[in-house]
Amino acid sequence: MIRFLLNRVAGMVVVLFLVCLFTFVIFFVLSPDPAVQVCGKNCTTEAIDQIRANLGLDRPFWTQFWTFLSGLFAGRTYGTGANAVECAAPCLGYSFQSSQPVTDMIVQRLPVSATVAIGAAVLWLLAGVTAGLVSAVREGRFADRFIAGLTLTGMSIPNYVLALALQFLLVVTLRWLPFPHAVPFGEDPVQWFMNFLMPWIVLAIGAAAVYTRLTRANVIETLQENYVRTARAKGLGPGLVWRRHALRPALTPIVTIFGMDFASLLGGALITETVFGLNGIGKLAADSITKNDQPVIMGVTLLAAFLVVVGNMVVDLLYTAIDPRVRVGSAT
Amino acid sequence: MIKKATSAAAAAAATALLLTACTGGPSDSTGGAGDDPVAGGTVHMLQNADFSYLDPARGFDGGVNAFYRLIYRGLTMQAAGDAEDPNAIVPDLAESLGTASEDGLTWTYTLKDGLKFDNGDPITAAEVEFGISRAWDPEIGIGSPWLKQTVDAPEDYAGPYQSGDHPGIETPDEHTIVFHLIEPFPEFDNVLAQPNAVPFPVGSGAGDEFINDVIASGPYTLDTYTPGSLIKLVRNEHWDADTDDVRKAYPDAWEFEIGLEAATIDERLLAGQGTDVNAIAGKIQAATLPRVQTPELQDRLIASPAFCTTYMGMNTTKAPFDQVEVRQAVNYALDRASIQTASGGTQLADPATTIIPTAVSGHKDFDLYPSEDYAGDPAKALELLAEVGLEDGFSFVLDIRAQPSMQAQAEAVQEALKAINVEVELNVIDTSTYYETIGTPSQQSDAAITGWCPDWASSASTMVPPLVDGRLITEKGNTNLAQLDDAAVNARIDEIKAIADLAEANVQWGEFDEEVMALAPMAPLVLEKGLFLPGANIAGYHPSTSMTDLAIIGLKDPSQG
Amino acid sequence: MTFTPTELEVEGAQGGEAARDNAPPSPPASGRRLARAFLKDRAALACSVYILLVLLMALAAPLIVKLSGWGPYEFDQSAVDPDMAGLPLGAAGGMGAEHWFGVEPGSGRDIFARIVYGARVSMTIALSATVLTSVLGVVFGLTAGYFGGKVDMVVSRVMEFLMAFPALIFMIAVLSALPAENRQFLLVGVISFFGWPYLARIVRGQTMSLKEREFVEAAKASGASSGQIIFKEILPNLASTIIVMTTLAVPGYVGTEAGLSFLGVGVVPPTPSWGQMIASSVPWYAVDPAYFLIPGACLFLLVLSFTVLGDRIRRLAETGGARA
Repeated sequence: MIRFLLNRVAGMVVVLFLVCLFTFVIFFVLSPDPAVQVCGKNCTTEAIDQIRANLGLDRPFWTQFWTFLSGLFAGRTYGTGANAVECAAPCLGYSFQSSQPVTDMIVQRLPVSATVAIGAAVLWLLAGVTAGLVSAVREGRFADRFIAGLTLTGMSIPNYVLALALQFLLVVTLRWLPFPHAVPFGEDPVQWFMNFLMPWIVLAIGAAAVYTRLTRANVIETLQENYVRTARAKGLGPGLVWRRHALRPALTPIVTIFGMDFASLLGGALITETVFGLNGIGKLAADSITKNDQPVIMGVTLLAAFLVVVGNMVVDLLYTAIDPRVRVGSAT
Repeated sequence: MIKKATSAAAAAAATALLLTACTGGPSDSTGGAGDDPVAGGTVHMLQNADFSYLDPARGFDGGVNAFYRLIYRGLTMQAAGDAEDPNAIVPDLAESLGTASEDGLTWTYTLKDGLKFDNGDPITAAEVEFGISRAWDPEIGIGSPWLKQTVDAPEDYAGPYQSGDHPGIETPDEHTIVFHLIEPFPEFDNVLAQPNAVPFPVGSGAGDEFINDVIASGPYTLDTYTPGSLIKLVRNEHWDADTDDVRKAYPDAWEFEIGLEAATIDERLLAGQGTDVNAIAGKIQAATLPRVQTPELQDRLIASPAFCTTYMGMNTTKAPFDQVEVRQAVNYALDRASIQTASGGTQLADPATTIIPTAVSGHKDFDLYPSEDYAGDPAKALELLAEVGLEDGFSFVLDIRAQPSMQAQAEAVQEALKAINVEVELNVIDTSTYYETIGTPSQQSDAAITGWCPDWASSASTMVPPLVDGRLITEKGNTNLAQLDDAAVNARIDEIKAIADLAEANVQWGEFDEEVMALAPMAPLVLEKGLFLPGANIAGYHPSTSMTDLAIIGLKDPSQG
Repeated sequence: MTFTPTELEVEGAQGGEAARDNAPPSPPASGRRLARAFLKDRAALACSVYILLVLLMALAAPLIVKLSGWGPYEFDQSAVDPDMAGLPLGAAGGMGAEHWFGVEPGSGRDIFARIVYGARVSMTIALSATVLTSVLGVVFGLTAGYFGGKVDMVVSRVMEFLMAFPALIFMIAVLSALPAENRQFLLVGVISFFGWPYLARIVRGQTMSLKEREFVEAAKASGASSGQIIFKEILPNLASTIIVMTTLAVPGYVGTEAGLSFLGVGVVPPTPSWGQMIASSVPWYAVDPAYFLIPGACLFLLVLSFTVLGDRIRRLAETGGARA
């Protein structure tokens, strides 16, 4: 077990390192001179050189990459003399646009993305698993077909189209919901809920459709397994069979998928946050890309990759814990 | 870089301008919101973009300059938004405008009494000198360039933190400040109205000290600052209204709600619920206009003229734009009416035929390339092209910014020039690198669409010359997109700049505009106006597309919202 | 080491907002039986008809536009109201005999013509990306699965890395940083770059199990070269998996292309694309809902059609047509 764990952690570190390197290379090669951007409207060649030196852009690639990496773990110092600025670990550098530390910018926006992710996850889990179970129980009947149609639709509607359609329907035409704008939970919980409802629905629909299909397929498959048949043959009531023998194994794979979905959603729902104007990580990513704010793009990319990789690992560990059938090493 | 923001530009201009500008449009701007503002309450400002910097030595754009007016004071400032001439420069911390020496090289100012920072420390000549010298710091002084361009300093002077006191600024006593200029500059009062000419306590503001906090000298000071979402200002108890003739500072507090989508802002203003009755914002989106048709909303709507010109610069170093006939033909052929519609229609844009916008002092009304209803005159254009053997057309590459409104304008240009067999290829450049690209002569294409605003609206001296002065062409950050280098034009610029009588100079700038347009280094496209929809409880609001005077706004009834 | 120790496979779409499904099992079914079953399925037929229609639009765009009377770039200032910010005149976004689907606010360009030309972009990019992804996925999957060992380790690591990568953020960042010319090729390249591991992973798994089967062993024993085994023995057995996975991937690519265009990094204007049309309709949705409903509906139906079709093909492949 410990070897397995170490192995996973090592793999994770390698992947994260590659993500770091890859992002860094791409932006190093592609990005227009950041010093010119930092320099602002009225720039001289000397000023650009000065900024390049301050940002360490005049040094060779590997030195810069190393400084960035060590900044992540040990912090780093920008500038010299009276203008020196200490950036504490985990230092992702400073925004070229606003001079804010990237780490702070991300931390400030995490709550919004978390709210969006948690709400959407609750919705899609509830809706997906319920619909999946109903489908499985009524396999081949009308309810099953109806749900199948719904899931196909849910999977196919691009979330920005759905977002606009919902806004048009619920806000403009029916006036059931206010135009979304951030209200802190403490200030007005009802308003808060109404504001997040649309983003939650938009994000949840696609995932709910996928979870419905997964649940349905797993439950149907499990019900055909030998041990379930045995249990039935032994005369156990259907409720007991369901609870004890069918549900748990059928839902275990859902945990796997859920962990990864949730982790990647925490890293920002770019389109949904942008469409609804929610100041989360996704919108931060979109904005920083528009402004070509390289340190912020790097920071957000790393965070998202980190969440996915960690999410994967947690899920794997959980999975080994829940499902005795999966033995360490049998996973190829 | 190119779309320079104005700093000491004007607020809402004369009514006459507006009446000519729109038909059946919103109410005129002189009345503001009607009832008078009273003291108290909180005014909310809804906006999309964060302010660039809290530090005035760093920030320099229309939005942040308006904000600085609430928390910082300078020796001089732009007049109140409701003043007879809102473009004028008036004294602020100084007793009066500056006194120039005979040779125009030395300017002297005297400070008022009883001036204090928000921490209670007095503001004396030393603090003014220190604050101003921050503009020379290579890392901090990235804002307005005017101080560095006018005040004399040794080449190696690098701001107070690295090089100590500024050698070009003298403070003979606590109340007197003397500036030594590089060369005579009759508009030096305008330079000191720039946002970076403000006092700070000696020694403060190094490194990132002013990134998240400030030391205020104006009527308000920072209460909370959450980058990207909220700025809250409260009263600066040490600000003395008796020392300030311009700022009214009616509300007790300001809340800037940042990071809102443009559509969200408009929706909230339309709905006007809760605290939104006390809200103001930037100009409304074109798509919002059809929804502002109820009498109540029409009543709230206020228009402001444009202070910037949206134009297409034609690179005169590249064929066929090296031929004046071709550039003139393009000016004739453009369907400015369709560009106007693409920019939001008659209520949000006017066709532009001059470089200097109507609202900027020095504007002269002329149209060298007229056509019926501004719809373009392809026949005339083809005649001109035939003169140089190009009646079968040509193709060129047009640089545009990856931004919907500019793309719409570019597509209208493209469509109009098809009529004279000219094929326009659009080169869409990322917003963040756009100005850098077109401002680098080695990278710019045949033409580019961009906007230009004067640094101060009281004179056209910062409007036309940067676009056509051949001596200003640089490898990077070039503003003369046409790369026009005409000896006569250059000489004219020097001649007008030397005129000490500013009124006479403005007349000459208008003439100069017409002389330049005869050479057609650019095609002015539209003047993008603004419509503003303040909350129902807002008073004393004189919005401007360049800089709205926030210091005179207040609430009709502070108990609302 | 794989990330999911189950039969479940992550498939198709990009950037966390993905569509997932069970991996299709491999047994191939006879072609004729499939076709017969397929024709009986009305939903699948309707979807195929819609897809063919869009394909036809894409292919015959210039002709269709001649019939409708307006080109995709032509301005019609008489169709919009300059005093009302360029809002289309008339009901439902200016729909009528002149402009079948109405006009764009501001410019007055014909929406029908832009939808027809937009189909070109959607189809070209989605189909090219599918082809490229399939080639990459099959090549890498086969190589890794067949040769195993170090090759497998390297390919697997690369796949893990690509799948952990926040693809959407990255695609936007790269596309906006690169020059806009040749955007179509870049779009295809970027989509495929992040898309292939999903197919490769399954191909790899199946190759590994096929490799152990008797007929492969037999071929090996009879002295066949690696190339012969791969092309003659393994690839034919992977065919149905590849077909199913590919069909399931197409809607993801259609959606991704539209999404990237929606975010402003798609094809360059004035070339129309559905995603970009939806993006420019955002500010207008309250006053001119037709402007977003039309491209939105076209896009949704196309993605839905591909999804349903992919779903049916998968089911047919699974059951050999028995249950369809």
